Amino acid sequence: MTYLETRRHELRKRRLLMVDGNLTLNSQTTDTGASARAYEGGYWGFASTNDSGAAGIESVTQGARRNAQAMARFGKKDTLTLPDGTYRGEHVFKGRSAIGQDECVERMAELAAWCKQRYPDLKSTRLVLSDEHHSKQLTTSTGSDVLSSIQRALCYITFTAIGSDGAPVEIMQSISGKGSLADLDLSPSNLASQLDELHRHVRAKGEAVAARGGKHTVVLGPELAGMLAHEAMGHPCEADLVLGGAVTGGLVGQRVASDLVTMIDVAHTYQGDEVMIPVYADDEGTPARDAMLIKDGILTEFMNSRETAARMGLKPTGSARAYLPSDEPLVRMRNTVIVPGRGKLEDMIAGVDDGYFLMKTGNGQADSTTEFMFGITLAYEIRHGKIGRAIKDTTISGSAIKVLQSVDAVSDDLYWNCSGYCGKKQPMVVSMGGPALRAQAHIGGE
Amino acid sequence: MGAAENNLNDLAAEALAAMRGAGFDDAQVTAVHSKLDEVCVAHNEPSLLRSTEARKLMLLGLIDGRVASTEVARIDREFVQGRIASLFTDAKSAPQDDANAVSSSQHARIMQGPQEGDRELLAAKTSELLDFRERETPKMMLDEGFTRHSWSRTHTLTSRGSDLAASVGCYSMSVFGTAREGNKSSSFNATGGTSDELSSRPAHEYFGIAQMLRDTERQIDTRPFGSKFVGDVVFTPNAVSDLLGWFLGQLGDTQLIAGSSLYKESVGQKVASPLLSIKSRFDAPGVAAISGDAFATPAVTLIDEGKLVSLAPTYYGSRKTGIKHVPVAGGWDVVAGATPISDIVGGVQRGAIVGRLSMGMPAANGNFSGVIKNSFAIEGGQATYALAETMIAGNMAQMLKDIVAISREAIDGGSQRLPWIRIGNLHFS
Repeated sequence: MTYLETRRHELRKRRLLMVDGNLTLNSQTTDTGASARAYEGGYWGFASTNDSGAAGIESVTQGARRNAQAMARFGKKDTLTLPDGTYRGEHVFKGRSAIGQDECVERMAELAAWCKQRYPDLKSTRLVLSDEHHSKQLTTSTGSDVLSSIQRALCYITFTAIGSDGAPVEIMQSISGKGSLADLDLSPSNLASQLDELHRHVRAKGEAVAARGGKHTVVLGPELAGMLAHEAMGHPCEADLVLGGAVTGGLVGQRVASDLVTMIDVAHTYQGDEVMIPVYADDEGTPARDAMLIKDGILTEFMNSRETAARMGLKPTGSARAYLPSDEPLVRMRNTVIVPGRGKLEDMIAGVDDGYFLMKTGNGQADSTTEFMFGITLAYEIRHGKIGRAIKDTTISGSAIKVLQSVDAVSDDLYWNCSGYCGKKQPMVVSMGGPALRAQAHIGGE
Repeated sequence: MGAAENNLNDLAAEALAAMRGAGFDDAQVTAVHSKLDEVCVAHNEPSLLRSTEARKLMLLGLIDGRVASTEVARIDREFVQGRIASLFTDAKSAPQDDANAVSSSQHARIMQGPQEGDRELLAAKTSELLDFRERETPKMMLDEGFTRHSWSRTHTLTSRGSDLAASVGCYSMSVFGTAREGNKSSSFNATGGTSDELSSRPAHEYFGIAQMLRDTERQIDTRPFGSKFVGDVVFTPNAVSDLLGWFLGQLGDTQLIAGSSLYKESVGQKVASPLLSIKSRFDAPGVAAISGDAFATPAVTLIDEGKLVSLAPTYYGSRKTGIKHVPVAGGWDVVAGATPISDIVGGVQRGAIVGRLSMGMPAANGNFSGVIKNSFAIEGGQATYALAETMIAGNMAQMLKDIVAISREAIDGGSQRLPWIRIGNLHFS
């Protein structure tokens, strides 16, 4: 056997959904298990069980080895020499003491009642509270022995109003952070200014006009720049996708963005502070380090696992992560950020004669070609340097390389969030961050 | 079903008794035992054999109209008792809502699909797939994929006498990859589905795999339309799935309770082209005809020749809104039409065959815009070049009305059987 890892993994999740004061979901789940993955004769074997005791570990270890051996039926295969990295340590976030479901419901009900009283013109208010806590004890045949925990909490607040045409319009605010729901301040007094803004935006959307389809100058708000980092260039810089044929494979050392753009997949610490999804060692026990994906506009390196690092001759980044106890590690992003520049958002808007200010996104998708898409749920026209009318929901797309090469201003602020899931074969908790960017991009519309 | 089923039944019964003992007015318990074997492919090579086995309990309890639920992967008595005690506390703190209730007097015994996986069959189908790729579509890189057998036995009991058991096994395949030539790549493309068997045909003849691989090779060289126009789209089954997903969302609890469903008041009305019918397929491979809230799910028609027949609230959603309860499981059939695909494409003067719609969530009123990926231009009734950087915009609800033709061919992906659909009046940019 060339390599073996075993993982005891517990995933605790909580999710509550309140629709207009009606608690339609009030759930907690715990998934517990042990898994093992073995590399033998050039093939991998994986096995998992709910039993995370010694007997379970022994059972899955034997199962993983048998599975790897069974793959020999496909014929002899060269065995890669996997990188050796070893990490020993414990990294457990020390947040506030967890609150019970009762307190979550109480906070939710208080917020729902406050919204109903403060915004009587809304058709509907939906609240989602959720947190999840991954605790993993990993050992590897390379000598790694790591206890790591990742915790994130989130709140989605969705306002639905009726537009001037009688049709519903809605907009969502996400609030997220490291830790459990105890670590988020969801009191109405803390959220009042954010929610007043959200209300103002949903009213504006009620009068929104259609975007003019085509290529435009756009100012991407910080929330969108994080998504751009993740979707547009993050995925094409995952080594397994590069091996799969992503065009980035042939672009290392070449200019893929304006020299104002630097993009990093941060392992655990950014400018001295621990990030939202800190990975000190990945689920292969590889010490995690930052992956400098783009430096001053030049494509620099890719995120990798032990196997993809070996296949491509790369220095390991510690990017192999598994979501469920029954999942095998895959190459995943951790905390992907476009580094802030020196511009000011208001100056960036003032410099646009005819374009759009894109503020919120619902979701996004990447592609091997670097042609990306994300849905825009809040945006305004920019006319003669001033914010104009709201526009209806639309989509922004383009070649990430062309868009990033067109960046002519990067703001000096930075917005992080960890409110979504990245989707691959498995979901994954990630964070993304960015400043505002000004660029040329294609907008869907009439 | 034998001793193993009895064990699962005993586990559920014991948990239900414990919940009653803890003071719940009503309760629903589901015990689950699942197993999976999966041969994975990475970068055109077999890479991994993955086996998993899990047991879990799902518990839902009501007290004074207040509800909470939990799911645990440990089933030892002491742990479950502790979790039930904390669930009681969770429920007691929830708001009172008379709409909360559990199902009563429901009964089902379902055994469906292959109960045991054949690992040699999984390996053989993986080999067939890889051989086909190498022989027929060598520019295609299968970035990841799998051939899988999964099996799940569930037993659900409620305090109101419901007793539903299912043992469902199925095979599934998934293929995801990119075609590449020199420095050029196609977009990602993917397909897959579930089936009760994988033995009757070569692997590439399931779930539209061969066509997906061949189409993707033709999508390495792409170009944009280069102009704005209003034209037609021919949605492939993969894109039809997005349209179906949006429609089903409009019929469910969240939109109905919030009052934001576009169809809340539309039962009995024409909401789509008379060509469109959407029916349940609750006996599809991998599907058990049992709803999440413990109801047996008889067959249901959602749209019949363009007329909305039924919404789909859960028991809770029904009691909350007064809308008729329609229990649903997870299988759907967009009924195939009478027109060959070639005739459908031949009828389009200017438009596109849309392989995949890459878009954000449609707006609350159904408006959307999205990039069409894995797509081909149609000019003068002929499918021509592969498209790049092309967006379409329209409205989901209007698209259902603007259906011009539905193909007689369909792809059976298991939980969804979907045809090709031609829709008019989309804005291209």
